[in-house]
This record gives sequence, C-alpha cells and structure tokens, in this order.
Amino acid sequence: MVRPERISPGLRGLPWVVAGLAAALAPHVRFLPAWVTLLFVAAAAWRWAADRRPWSLPPKWLRVAATLAATLAVLGTFRTLNGIEAGTAFLALMAAAKLLETRASRDLSVLVFIAYFMLYAALLRDQGLSQLPYLLAVTVFATAALMRVHAGSTGDSGRDVLQRAAVLLLQALPLALLMFLLFPRLPGPFWGIAAGDSARTGLGDEMTPGDISDLSVSGDVAFRVRFFGPLPPPALRYWRGPVLHEFDGRSWRRPRAQSFPEQPVEYVGEPVDYQITLEPTDRPWITALDVPAEWPARQAYRSYDFQLVAPRRLTDVSSYRLRSYPRYVAGKALPQTLRATDTRLPAEGNPRSRALARELAARHGGDPLAISDAMLDMFREQPFVYTLDPPKLAENAMDEFLFDTRRGFCEHYAAAFTLVMRAAGVPARVVTGYQGGEFNPIGGYLIVRQSDAHAWSEIWVEGRGWLRVDPTAAVAPERIELGLIRAVSGDEAVPGRLRDASDAWLQVELTWDTLNDFWNERVVRFTAARQVEMLEQLGFESPDWRTLGLGMAASLAAFFVSLSLYLAWRYREPARDWPARLHAEVVRRLRKRGLTPAAAEGPTAFLERAMQACPDLESDLATIRRLYVSLRYGPVPTDADLRRLKHVVNRLRP
Amino acid sequence: MRRTFARLRSAIDARTQAWIRRRQGPDTDPVRLDRRRIYILPTPLGIAFAVMLLGMLLGGMNYGNNLGLALAFLLASLGLVVMHHCHGTLSGLVLRLAATESAFAGSEVVFRLLLENAALAPRPRIELGIGREPTCVVDVPATGSAPAELALPATRRGRVVLGRFVVATRHPLGLFRAWSVLHCDYQAVAWPAPTERDRLPPGVATDTGGAQEHARGDDDFAGLRPFQPGDSLHRVAWKAYARGQGLHTKQYAGTDVVSHIFDWDSLAPLGTEARLAQLCRWVIDAHDHAEAFGLRLPGVSIEPNVGTAHRERCLNALALFEDGHGPA
Repeated sequence: MVRPERISPGLRGLPWVVAGLAAALAPHVRFLPAWVTLLFVAAAAWRWAADRRPWSLPPKWLRVAATLAATLAVLGTFRTLNGIEAGTAFLALMAAAKLLETRASRDLSVLVFIAYFMLYAALLRDQGLSQLPYLLAVTVFATAALMRVHAGSTGDSGRDVLQRAAVLLLQALPLALLMFLLFPRLPGPFWGIAAGDSARTGLGDEMTPGDISDLSVSGDVAFRVRFFGPLPPPALRYWRGPVLHEFDGRSWRRPRAQSFPEQPVEYVGEPVDYQITLEPTDRPWITALDVPAEWPARQAYRSYDFQLVAPRRLTDVSSYRLRSYPRYVAGKALPQTLRATDTRLPAEGNPRSRALARELAARHGGDPLAISDAMLDMFREQPFVYTLDPPKLAENAMDEFLFDTRRGFCEHYAAAFTLVMRAAGVPARVVTGYQGGEFNPIGGYLIVRQSDAHAWSEIWVEGRGWLRVDPTAAVAPERIELGLIRAVSGDEAVPGRLRDASDAWLQVELTWDTLNDFWNERVVRFTAARQVEMLEQLGFESPDWRTLGLGMAASLAAFFVSLSLYLAWRYREPARDWPARLHAEVVRRLRKRGLTPAAAEGPTAFLERAMQACPDLESDLATIRRLYVSLRYGPVPTDADLRRLKHVVNRLRP
Repeated sequence: MRRTFARLRSAIDARTQAWIRRRQGPDTDPVRLDRRRIYILPTPLGIAFAVMLLGMLLGGMNYGNNLGLALAFLLASLGLVVMHHCHGTLSGLVLRLAATESAFAGSEVVFRLLLENAALAPRPRIELGIGREPTCVVDVPATGSAPAELALPATRRGRVVLGRFVVATRHPLGLFRAWSVLHCDYQAVAWPAPTERDRLPPGVATDTGGAQEHARGDDDFAGLRPFQPGDSLHRVAWKAYARGQGLHTKQYAGTDVVSHIFDWDSLAPLGTEARLAQLCRWVIDAHDHAEAFGLRLPGVSIEPNVGTAHRERCLNALALFEDGHGPA
C-alpha cells in the first residue's frame, strides 16, 4: 500500500503560481469543455487546502490514474492533441495533475511554464488588440510567481515582487522588440495545422433563411479595405462571397465537388485598386469587390463563379492586394452543364411560387429581364417588409414568404427571387457576401462588419452574361445606400451597433478600430516582405538574411552593453563625500609610483609616507594632507578649502 | 548506465575544479568576487525554459503567428536579462572569514564567514556550499553584510583546511546559476576525540590557595586592590567607594582551588593518539569542574591555569601535536 505523502514545508509561492495558472487559463475557459475547467478548479482547491491544513495530497496511484483518464478523455473529446482546443485542454489537465504532486520549487516552476504556454495558446487563438493588456498583465504575474518561487527574501511584499517582475520584463522589452523586427520569418507551415473547431462568425457555404439575419446582428469586423484611389459609391460596394447553386427546397448550397471551366470576364470602365485585410474566418473565402480581376498568384484563385478563394482556410488575419472592376460583363457563354446546375430545382415544393413563375414566363414570353423586373415590381409595390426579425417559415418556405408573411431579410428576397427565376427557366443563383461598409475617416479605410452581410441574385441573360439583381434594393433601397441600420424600421433592435450613436462615441469607436487596423497591419501581419521593406527604408540595399543576422548580432551586443551598464549603476557603491573621493583619486594616481595604502594605514599616515617616498611631490602632498585634515576634522569645512583641494589633486602628476 | 553517467559527471567536475584552481590561483582573505572568477550556466530549469521557448518559436513560425513569436521573444529576452541580473547579484560581493569554530574529531568544524555588500542594491539568495549542493542561503542587504557559515566534518585531529567552497546564486528566476569557486585555504583546528571516562586524572599537584598567582577562587576574602578596567562589577567594593575611598576590587583566595598537571609521560604504555585522547578527556573534565590544570607534552609545557582560553590553548596543543606545525 502506498502511503499518502506529506507536503514538504517551506514551499514558497504556491498561491501565486495557482493564481497565475488560473489567470492564464481564464481566456480559454469559454472554449474548453466544462469538465476540464472543473477538474482544474478541483485540483487547485485541493492543493490550496493541502497547503493550509494538514490535508494530504492524493496518493500516487490515484494521480497516475487520473492523469491517464484525463488524457484519454481529451483524446475522446477532440480526437487529437494537436490544435488549440485540444492542446489547451491537455495543458489544463496536465497543470491540474502537476498541482497534485507539487512538492518542490521545481514543480512550481514547471507550473509557471505551463501558465506561459497557456498565454501563448491564447495568442495563437486570437491576436487581437483587445485581449492584449490582460495577457501582458498575466505574463507579469506569472513572472512574479516564478520570482516568488525562486528569489527574494521571505519578507518581500507582493507589491515588491510584482514590481520587480514588471521591471525585468520592461528591461526585456527592447531586445524582444528588436528580435521581433529582425528575426527571419520563414514561410510555414512545417506541420499540419489542426482544424480550428471554434465556430467563428462569417459566411458559410450554405444559406437557410435566417442565417444572414443571425450574422447581421454581430458588430464584429469582417474585413477592412484601404483603397488606392477614390472610394467606390455604396451602390457598387458588393463584396463577393460564396456563390450558392444548389437548392433543396429550403437551403441554398455551394456545390462541393463540382468544377466548371473558368468563365471569361470582360472588364468595363475604371479599375479599383485596394488592400483587403480579412479577420480570421476559418474559411478560405476572400470577399473581394465584385468582380476581382487581379490577385496575387498562388495566394488565391478565382472560381468559375467569380469568387476569390484562398488555397487554405484563413485562420489568421490575412491581407491581399487586389484589383477589381465594379462594371463587367461575365460569362457570356454559358456551358450546358452550368446551365443545368443553375436551373435545377427540386421535383416538388413551393407550388405557388412555381405557378407565379409559369405565369410570369408566359406573360413576358420568357424574357429574363422582363420577368426579373416584374418580380422586383412585385416586391416594390406589394406590402413587403424588410426586417431583421422575420417570422419562422415552415414547409413551403418560399411560398409562405412570398404570399403570406411578406416579411423577410435579404436572404429571403434573394432566395425567393432566384427560385422564381429558375422556375421560369432562367439560369439564376444566389450570391452571398457583404454590401456597403463604413468609411473610417480617422484611419482612411472602409470597415465592413458582419452586420453588412448580404445576399443577392445573379441571373444569366443571353448576350449579357451574368447580371446582378438585388431584390433587397427594391424593397429597401436605403439598405444599399445607407446600410442596415437605416434600412430596418426604427423600433427594431440592432445589437452590436448603436443605432443613434452620438458623435463622440462614434469617434471613440472609429479610433479604436483604427488602432486595431494599425495593430493588424503592422504587428499581426508583419511578414517577411514587410521586414525587407523596413530594412530598405532604413537604408539597406537588397537586404537578405545576412542583414537580419547582422542586425540581430548588433542588437544583442547593444543590449548586453546597456544591460551591463545598468547593472553597474544598480550595484554602484554609495557616493562618498568629496574629501574621501579626492583621497581615492590621490591613491589612484600614486599607485603609478608603486604606492598603495596598507590595510591599517589611514589617509594622513599614507600621505606622510608618500611625501617621504616622492620628494618632488612633497609640497603638493603636504597641502593635500593639510586640506584633507581640515576638511575632515576641522571645525568649519569651507568651500574655498574644497576647491583648493580639488585643484591640487588635479594638478598631481605622478 | 546511471553509474557511468555519475562517474562521467564527477570526472568532469574534477577536471573543471582543477582548471578553475589553476586559472585563479589561491585566494587571499578577504575575497572580492569579480568578473574573472564568476561562472554562469543555465540550470536544468533554465534549459527546460529554453526548450519551451524553442517550442513556442517553432509553433509561432508554423502558424505564422506573430504574437506567439512576440511572446517567445519577450521570454527569451527575459531569460537574457535574468542572466545578467544573476551575474550581477554575485559580482562585487566580498567574503571574509569572521571566525572558525574548532571541534572534536568526528564532529564538524565551522567556518563563520561574513558576506559584505558595499553596493546600493541588495544581493538576495546567496548560496554557500562545499560540494555541489548549497548548505546555507543568505540574503545580503544593500550596503550591509550578512553572516554565513560552512561546516566541514573533521575526521581526524589536526588542522582542517577548507580547500575550496562555492558561492552561488540563482536569483532572480532560477533559470541561471552564477557561481564562484574560492580557494582561500581557511583553517580550523580539530581536537582529538576524548576517550571514555575510565582513567582517573593524576593526583593533585598543589592544593593551597594563594600559592598560585592566577588561580583564584571566591571563597575567602583576601583584601582589596585598586580597580582595573576589566574587573567584574560584582566584585567592586561599593561600600568602600561610598565611603569615598575610590574604586577597589575585592580579592578572594580560594583554598578549594585544585590544580592538575596532565603529563604525556604518565601515560607511557599507550600510543600517541590514545595518549592524546586521554589527555583531551582530562582537560575537558578538569575545565568542566573548574579545576586548574597544566599540560606537559614533549616540547610543550603549559603552566596550570583556568578559563576557556586556557582550555582552548591546551586542546590546540593536543590537536597539533607532532602535526608538523607548531602550537597555535
């Protein structure tokens, strides 16, 4: 039988380490399964109690069994240990297990390292500016905990330790900054990146009525755009996302394993050049301005339905320089297979919509534009309402919407319109994306939020190719011109964005967004290319890895020198009074004559001896001795004496 | 495997120590720890820290995550800062031998050291030790000093030399260990271990009080003499002082003062060490009973006396007998 072991006394800093671990775990809690957090809290509580009271830690077999069970549970939950979710869960459980066997300061240090790693995982999850102050504070705290474990007198107050940890980190900051700027960025990844299983807001590859209105209540930034020319007018700000071709009677879907030849596009008018910076979405969509014409090769491609797609999912902030033509003629020739896909409807369902389509087709002789106009007229003239909060729809959703409820958001209008067009024999599809955006005059860029998510239709017309038709514009033209907030009726709540934000608040918000944008552009997106750019601006011609290495070496050297100087200052001896300092100077100068004061020799005795040893300096040394004695022991030391002493000492030339 | 490793490690240790000794030469008391004699290496914990940083670095590059990299850089830089601080904590510290405590062979002699810090910053967590593991940890305050002690087991009588000892620190985060090896050759004396109490001390040589100048008891009042600085205040004749006769010290003659002469030759059949052990026992007992005693060794003769200083003088004479050194 294994006896429970008692805790060794004198384990310093345990409460600090536990608090630091908990603080580092906090940003992960909402992504972790509840049982992981609970286990950690239980372990921490047990350890804490064991420190205060004569409790025992669990015996070894129990610890080993618990650790194994926890590892298996993590594997069972996530099917992997790679990836941020599984990794943090595993770290939290390891910390819990380690807490229960913590006996030596080494164990506590390992726990602090785990806390550091949790902070690191929090950064991997989210590089945003908003959580940064918290993470920095926890870094200071964890460092203070490590210091508590290893150093300082027992009498140090918590504030002292925190302050010292902060000072150490501040001293580390300059070199960290230089390393950040100069460390070569290698193109990753070197190993597979596990799928992020946290759901992020953004456009999916499927649209069911209600999806986009759900998205629209989020005030999160979807992407930011910096234009290199004039801002395109709101009516042309259509940001193209997934194009949905497949309809099952209720949802629209992007076909997964279906490919068509690339479709030709003719560009009309002036191009728009811009830099788009997308927040991470875990999806490969690059929501370019309709229609993208130029994009960086290998970083993106344009699909047959003119959507710009990245080769892998965007798990981090990503930025692209693009050129688009808001006016274009696309896909004049429609391949038969694509026509089949874009006119296909389920065998049955929504009978009233189909009847309407047949009637419109018959009335207008199958002319797509006339049918489309008739539909838009219907939306405009009949009492259709544009609302964020449409009623739930049941079996024949589109029929219900078109003929009964008549209240819907953009996806309802786009879906119903596309359905009717298809039923009338016109190739049509739903395009999802964003529309509009808010210009930030402080940062000089356009902010497009999730609340700008939008859905519209495209119909194919012989001789003119794919035409964009936005049924929402017929119902609520304000949506296109002024944005969502102005388009929905006044008594609807629009969470995430304040409806009538005061000017001051708007300024604060835009400034904060500008800071975020700066952060994204300068820090999060500091790439190899930016690095080269920076070095060129500093005056290096064609910088390469050697320049970086040289820069690193120089930084390290400068850092070491300044740190040594700082430490010399920190460990300096207290300033002595002037007579003592001047005497030290005399001793220094006389050393060249081979004279050093003996251990028990005072200044007067030493000077006496020096006078005998160096007859040439005798008068000066005598003056020094007299002035020294009078300054040190005389009744009133005078400034005149001190000045004279300085003068004579400086004149001393051994 | 483990044994090979341990042997390899001790071999490396021995080589390093020899190299350090050759490089530094002997030290003279007091020693100032300067840059030249301070060595610094990461601790196992520091190596673990570096491995963690490497992981962060690789992960950050793999995920193209600049902030992950930034944290790794911040912590790496922190490690370098801490390295300098660790070195600075030791650099400039002055060590001085304050006292040595002799002991009987078989127990430990103690070297009392004084750690002096002239600087304006404190030097916390200074570890002292003779071997790899520290035996003493002290915090040295700013512009102050702190005592520390090192104990060395004394296996046999004679001089015990503190050949080398290590001053180290892991301050402030335990990631680095700065250390300095000192060869001051501090010496203490180990007295012979006393034998069992089985042989009675030789007969009392003198038992008349007053015959010996220095042996004074406190039973019989013998008279007054003028007060001298250092006389106990308990023996001042306050009544006489009150009468205006000035300060006088009362003198007593103890008739009960016994005095022994412990003679080497009286223990003729025994060997050298056994004789010394027996003499040691007699000296201790006589001192404990407050009896005066003298010591006769070949070449050494200590007149009878009392007091701790006398006891120590006799014990030292025993400890260093025929040790190649003269009596301390």
